[in-house]
Amino acid sequence: MKYFWIQLVLVLGAGTAALIFIRRWDRTNTRAWKRIAFVLFVLANIYAVLRPNDVTWVANRFGVGRGTDLVLYLMVLALAFLALNTYLRFRSLEKKLTDMARTVAITEGARLNQERFDEKVSG
Amino acid sequence: MSQYDDVWLVIPAYNEGQVIADVVENARKTFPNIVVVDDGSTDGSAEHIMTTGAHLVRHPVNLGQGAALQTGLSYALQQPGAQYFATFDADGQHQTHDVEKMVAVLRDGTADVVLGSRFIEQSEQVPMIKRVVLRTAAAVSPTARKLKLTDSHNGLRVINREAASQLRITMNGMAHASEIVGLLAKSSLRVVEVPVDILYTDYSRAKGQSLINGVNILFDISLRERGRR
Repeated sequence: MKYFWIQLVLVLGAGTAALIFIRRWDRTNTRAWKRIAFVLFVLANIYAVLRPNDVTWVANRFGVGRGTDLVLYLMVLALAFLALNTYLRFRSLEKKLTDMARTVAITEGARLNQERFDEKVSG
Repeated sequence: MSQYDDVWLVIPAYNEGQVIADVVENARKTFPNIVVVDDGSTDGSAEHIMTTGAHLVRHPVNLGQGAALQTGLSYALQQPGAQYFATFDADGQHQTHDVEKMVAVLRDGTADVVLGSRFIEQSEQVPMIKRVVLRTAAAVSPTARKLKLTDSHNGLRVINREAASQLRITMNGMAHASEIVGLLAKSSLRVVEVPVDILYTDYSRAKGQSLINGVNILFDISLRERGRR
């Protein structure tokens, strides 16, 4: 029970971050934060490799058993964000592609159908 | 001149070359105005459509049924005199006499949107598993409940010009049915359901979407970017 609150905060924090992320994933600010988070993540990894005992100490403070477990949890989070980010990016690309294809289809279709039905009338 | 000159049928078609020409010609006996959206088919559907009297609009690449519907609606909205718009399946499971019935409801002016339902009557025709899943979908969906729908995933809909101009389908895939219901629930449009007859032929059974696709629909809908359009 002694770590219950810190665990609750961590889980809720991750959930909130994900929600905020979905809503404004493509704004300039969010893009900057994504990059900052990435750099911090890399730096933290280098530190963890050099001083594993420190990671265990941090992990204990947060109520996680071992340092490697903490790294694992963070990796799961990072991976989840990566997947979400990629999904949203593809959705946005798909939307642009759709708008473009629709414009082409309607312009072309209008021309084609006019030709088809004019021919029928005159022929 | 026909009494249905102001009605446009929008038929999205993806690799329906086998049946599309028959379905279109059959529907054209009643409805002179039809636009078929060929959603990047690779089976020569376009050639079959060209032999009919329907307008043809071709997506250069396959985008999905939702995208095809929106393209067809946008195209039909540009046609002079178009007042009513029907979404109709390419596999021959919808029937024109149902569309006539639905257009009549719109002409009365008591509704802006008429949705077909398989469950008001004759629900025995729907295969059993499908029936259970579809009824559950309609029962648990908050938007479908708000509109008191019995069938939230029926492809047969007739809407008036006002509703068609408001509709913006952004879900390219099969999630568009849920999306449309959601958009209707948020709008001030008047929605009613009308019983329709769906012909479950072997062809339409084989072409119909599998139930596991419901998982994809739930996923897409829950990850929509809210409030950003």
